Amino acid sequence: MFTLPQKDFSAPTTCLGPACMQDLGSSHGDDLEGECSRKLDQKLPELPGVGDSAMFSPDTSYLSSRGRMIKWFWDSAEEGYRTYHMDEYDENKNPSGIINLGVSENKLCFDLLSWRLSQSDMQRVEPSLLQYADWRGHLFLREEVAKFLSFYCKSPAPLRPENECEKEAVCVIMCASVKYNIRGPALIPRMKTKHRIYYITLFSIVLLGLIATGMFQFWPHSIESSNDWNVEKRSVRDVPVVRLPADSPIPERGDLSCRMHTCFDVYRCGFNPKNKIKVYIYALKKYVDDFGVPVSNTISREYNELLTAISDSDYYTDDINRACLFVPSIDVLNQNTLRIKETAQALAQLSRWDRGTNHLLFNMLPGGPPDYNTALDVPRDRALLAGGGFSTWTYRQGYDVSIPVYSPLSAEVDLPEKGPGPRRYFLISSQVGLHPEYREDLEALQVKHGESVLVLDKCTNLSEGGLSIRKRCHKHQVFDYPQVLQEATFCVVLRGARLGQAILSDVLQAGCVPVVIADSYILPFSEVLDWKRASVVVPEEKMSDVYSILQSIPQRQIEEMQRQARWFWEAYFQSIKAIALATLQIINDRIYPYAAISYEEWNDPPAVKWGSVSNPLFLPLIPPQSQGFTAIVLTYDRVESLFRVITEVSKVPSLSKLLVVWNNQNKNPPEDSLWPKIRVPLKVVRTAENKLSNRFFPYDEIETEAVLAIDDDIIMLTSDELQFGYEVWREFPDRLVGYPGRLHLWDHEMNKWKYESEWTNEVSMVLTGAAFYHKYFNYLYTYKMPGDIKNWVDAHMNCEDIAMNFLVANVTGKAVIKVTPRKKFKCPECTAIDGLSLDQTHMVERSECINKFASVFGTMPLKVVEHRADPVLYKDDFPEKLKSFPNIGSL
Amino acid sequence: MQSWRRRKSLWLILSASWLLLVLLGGFSLLRLALPSRPRPGAPQGWPRWLDAELLQSFSQAGELPEDAASPQAPHGGSCNWGACFDTSKCRGDGLKVFVYPASGPISETHHRILASIEGSRFHTFSPAGACLLLLLSLDAQTGECSSMPLQWNRGRNHLVLRLHPAPCPKTFQLGQAMVAEASPTVDSFRPGFDVALPFLPEAHPLRGGAPGQLQQHSPQPGITLLALEEERGGWRTADTGSSACPWDARCEQDPGPGQTQRGETLPNATFCLISGHRPEAASRFLQALQVLAALQEMSPARVLALRQQTQFLWDAYFSSVEKVIHTTLEVIQDRIFGTSAHPSLLWNSPPGALLALSTFSTSPQDFPFYHLQQGSRPEGRFSALIWVGPPGQPPLKLIQAVAGSQHCAQILVLWSNERPLPSSWPETAMPLTVIDGHRKVSDRFFPYSTIRTDAILSLDARSSLSTSEVDFAFVVWQSFPERMVGFLTSSHFWDEAHGGWGYTAERTNEFSMVLTTAAFYHRYYHTLFTHSLPKALRTLADEAPTCVDVLMNFLVAAVTKLPPIKVPYGKQRQEAAPLASGGPGPRSKPQAAAPDCVNQIAAAFGHMPLLSSRLRLDPVLFKDPVSVQRKKYRSLEKP
Repeated sequence: MFTLPQKDFSAPTTCLGPACMQDLGSSHGDDLEGECSRKLDQKLPELPGVGDSAMFSPDTSYLSSRGRMIKWFWDSAEEGYRTYHMDEYDENKNPSGIINLGVSENKLCFDLLSWRLSQSDMQRVEPSLLQYADWRGHLFLREEVAKFLSFYCKSPAPLRPENECEKEAVCVIMCASVKYNIRGPALIPRMKTKHRIYYITLFSIVLLGLIATGMFQFWPHSIESSNDWNVEKRSVRDVPVVRLPADSPIPERGDLSCRMHTCFDVYRCGFNPKNKIKVYIYALKKYVDDFGVPVSNTISREYNELLTAISDSDYYTDDINRACLFVPSIDVLNQNTLRIKETAQALAQLSRWDRGTNHLLFNMLPGGPPDYNTALDVPRDRALLAGGGFSTWTYRQGYDVSIPVYSPLSAEVDLPEKGPGPRRYFLISSQVGLHPEYREDLEALQVKHGESVLVLDKCTNLSEGGLSIRKRCHKHQVFDYPQVLQEATFCVVLRGARLGQAILSDVLQAGCVPVVIADSYILPFSEVLDWKRASVVVPEEKMSDVYSILQSIPQRQIEEMQRQARWFWEAYFQSIKAIALATLQIINDRIYPYAAISYEEWNDPPAVKWGSVSNPLFLPLIPPQSQGFTAIVLTYDRVESLFRVITEVSKVPSLSKLLVVWNNQNKNPPEDSLWPKIRVPLKVVRTAENKLSNRFFPYDEIETEAVLAIDDDIIMLTSDELQFGYEVWREFPDRLVGYPGRLHLWDHEMNKWKYESEWTNEVSMVLTGAAFYHKYFNYLYTYKMPGDIKNWVDAHMNCEDIAMNFLVANVTGKAVIKVTPRKKFKCPECTAIDGLSLDQTHMVERSECINKFASVFGTMPLKVVEHRADPVLYKDDFPEKLKSFPNIGSL
Repeated sequence: MQSWRRRKSLWLILSASWLLLVLLGGFSLLRLALPSRPRPGAPQGWPRWLDAELLQSFSQAGELPEDAASPQAPHGGSCNWGACFDTSKCRGDGLKVFVYPASGPISETHHRILASIEGSRFHTFSPAGACLLLLLSLDAQTGECSSMPLQWNRGRNHLVLRLHPAPCPKTFQLGQAMVAEASPTVDSFRPGFDVALPFLPEAHPLRGGAPGQLQQHSPQPGITLLALEEERGGWRTADTGSSACPWDARCEQDPGPGQTQRGETLPNATFCLISGHRPEAASRFLQALQVLAALQEMSPARVLALRQQTQFLWDAYFSSVEKVIHTTLEVIQDRIFGTSAHPSLLWNSPPGALLALSTFSTSPQDFPFYHLQQGSRPEGRFSALIWVGPPGQPPLKLIQAVAGSQHCAQILVLWSNERPLPSSWPETAMPLTVIDGHRKVSDRFFPYSTIRTDAILSLDARSSLSTSEVDFAFVVWQSFPERMVGFLTSSHFWDEAHGGWGYTAERTNEFSMVLTTAAFYHRYYHTLFTHSLPKALRTLADEAPTCVDVLMNFLVAAVTKLPPIKVPYGKQRQEAAPLASGGPGPRSKPQAAAPDCVNQIAAAFGHMPLLSSRLRLDPVLFKDPVSVQRKKYRSLEKP
């Protein structure tokens, strides 16, 4: 009877004991890490190679070599299946009872196919086969399909080929089933051709049906919305009309003392694990007074966009009972287009109005002639106002939100980003309708500073029309607006009748640094945006000094401001959607402050975010020595060596706990009585799976900040060396502090990274076979490792240390610290089997890890340094007995 | 047999699929077939209007730019910065502060505040030259209220410092004066104009102050999550074990578990809940449980960041009266500076705005502290600054050695002795500048405008270094641009016998200072040394030259809160070293003076900032048993 490969699995590729590293003469692989010995040791459940002749049963001697191979696969598959049935419910006792479906035929088909494809007639392909005459596919194919389906599916009338295959899906399925016919014996049993066709047909239809169903299930909106388009969707003019009686209630005027904790009901927002507020939008109505005269324009284009943006966002809910913020569909963006009292009445009759609690109104153009209030005049009680022209007098800090005045030009004009740097004009003013006093001041500046200042006005000689807003004039020179803004370094944004000016948006778009001259103006989103980085605010009475104020700004800062201005526009000004979402995010941050977006996230342009590192352990702090460290020993089953490590490590004075991670599920750890008796608590953690990442799990048992990761075969480190390593870690608690150092190099020939373990003058990694680090990195490794690196490491049983080096270097931006001199690795049990080649494959694997991780991280975070840490008096001419760490570097 | 079994299972799969298809597809078909009605529960977003494209814009064309213009001065009951502060007075020397002298007896806190202002670089004795006039609003205890000062001028450019929440009855209108007080109310506080202060207890130290008590970055496992402030200084703890209340349902439970700790000591908890109001204890406990629920959701990364930030803020701005007052003045100075104020990063990351002077630069990259956040790297070049003291020998050999370094950008010779300048200097490829010093030791740390690189190699003419020592030390400095990297070290220790700090330059297993007679550091420390240290300390250094090393080390340690770094130094010279005989050298006479200056400087700093290190950074292959040919810094190993 043929034995199972798993059962028969034995020595050839494994390593016996801890000793497969050898080759003392060679310059690498000879120190204490024993990287490979551990790896191989734990790689036990490995499948044997195909060419392993010992695996073939003797009765196949009549077959050819390929036949034998197939037979072997076939038998092993059957064997597994039978074994499974012998004891099908016990996966522990019967781990090899697996079903191996159809591997052989796959292989056979592949061979046949590749043989066929390599024939000479395959070199040429009929041109007609290479191109689709018609996007719906070949007619002949469709005819075939039509015939086929008409017949087999008992179509009442013959299908027409033109209609067939309209959906690509059919073709795909046909192709797929044809493909399966060739390569998928597991899905299609061997049977007569006729039956096979039946089978394929049925299967295709089922698949087709499933796909179509899936489309219905997963794209309900597209189908339903097209469905109720006719029913539900109408023109804005057809919305229901609501008549407001003249004596219907009016809300109180806005309460200036409102704050989030007094006027906002946070309990309505509930505790939400996703930390997102839920926003409800009232249905659109048309409000008319007693005489049928509308209260306002039903809705403006921008307000419709705004509500659409909210409705499409994560904030939206259609359930009024779950909402915590209510947005009326009554459009108050521009106060001039509405009747104040009636609009207020309309607000008051909203179903959840409740004095305006948790209601949010958007307004960009507040006030009206002659005195232009800086906030919306519509009485609104406690409602929050997102307003576009707040002054310090009307703005309720921490309650209202200051938003930009949207510039419709943003959508019309595409101004490509212009790099920062000096521009033609130093200062430009492009506003029209400025107060004569201001204009005089500006013109005085122009006279004084000549060419570098440009003051523009509207063009009087142009015919009136839509285009005139896109032109500006200076004397008889005509300039395109807003393009002219890109020619200036600084752009004046003066108050008009209103404080908020749409030109601010145009100026930012042009990457021009706004010079805001509007006393008491609350800049848009100033609650979160740092306007100092993107603008210059000048008091109105200092207007005549503007030029000298601006000239005192260093060029580097100006360039920074230009970049920042453009970024603000891109992120928060460029569309109504951007404005709406930023407003909701600000309110969201107030309600869930512990999940709020940070200053950096709001303000740093993407380029800065990419380049900068925010070290999670940024506080300079030397932890007290008394805390000690926890040693974590990862082991599989090398008990003898493990016990030696435990005994050695326990001699280190600062050790406070020892944790053994038992990674062997098939074997129990030794009895309690057999373990070495040490002075600190020793704890054994059994793992559920033999994974390398178990070594970096943030176990609750780790009570100290410092963790020493140590392999179960590192017996050559002295107590002095370990204690010194801990002292070094205390001075660099945010770094990996380890013993054997490694380097990554750029291989110019191969154009990729290379792993280096030679005696080099530089270090960029330390091996975690013996390294101190902060326990927080365990948390990061387990829960925050980017991409699939963690699984990749577990699957390959290698490179967990390189992954840790990448991770730490990436979050801290700092290099590792290698401690103490390089140590010769002396291994008494070493036997030199096949050392060199093993070593080489090892290096290749490690190089691959570096390349893989660099691509996942999107960068090479490792930092190269030329230093290592030694005790102050190391190798100094000084009495050894007076040195704190005399026993360092010795063998 | 076997193929039959396989086929059977396949048919089984097929029929299961059919069933699935019928179930799923049937429902969808049913749904399609039935006349669709608007269903009440179906999700409905904001409708896509048919005529959305035809809607009018909220502002008619031309309205935005055509705003009718009528500039009007803002009218309102309160002040803001632009309207109520006259910055023209501050144009000359920046912020200069005059403090009204106190009339009558003053309290201890009052005294400390006065002392901290007078010790600051902002202080002036002339009210006419000042741009800010500071009035200490009086202590409630003395019961006496100040009368309107002479230069009041409706409060313009005045700062009224109120120490106690309950001030005097208003004897005069505050008018345009700014108010700095603890716990201002939302109604009266004018953002961007007034300044909110922390409450200063009577016992708050004048300077220095206790460092933060955080000993480790992350919270200890199993520690209390939340402690709740109670009346009379007690604390109640709410643990993860306590039942957390959901947010929306208001808790109706009893105050349940949690112990009350009495006394002065702060609880050992990760978070402390401090509430401004004083409602009854039980409801506050419930409130705490709700907060607890939110805190439990917080990611470890955020907890870690918050812990460290509180500690940084305490150390940078709160721990002493001096820091609080200087922070207030710094805030006002930033308003005056406008565009050249501290960027947010400088305020909010170590070492803080008081130690990162915006007069040095407003670009974070120019400082040694922010390279990580800025994604920048320290420059690859250094300037050697050689101080030539009394004997006055041109340091020819030293110049050659330094000029040989590939990283050297320029050499500056600070000629600081009685002898005339030599007329000729050795030929080097490096630009060599000679500065005629003022014979003062503190000149060594003056921010000369001729220094063009960030890194400075500070040297004494009598030091001797080899080129590879210089090269290696500079490469190390690039990894630690905020620290001093030196060759020779000394240490401080607590001398029980004398009840004071001791100083030793003996070779020991640890060190806390590097000698500036041969050390790399960032040129920002010259600015800090000259502009932020109290004048008294600089005078001390001039009078006792041995102290200048100690002072510089104190300064850098106070900023970085880290020890300096030592690199290897050829030992034969170390034995013979005439190197440090001018400075506090080993086994030389000035050693006696050193402990004294350690104590004096520590007193002036208010605490002992020096920290000890037990390591030395060596080249990776230093003294390793490999061929010397493989080693980059092989001359460091010569016996």
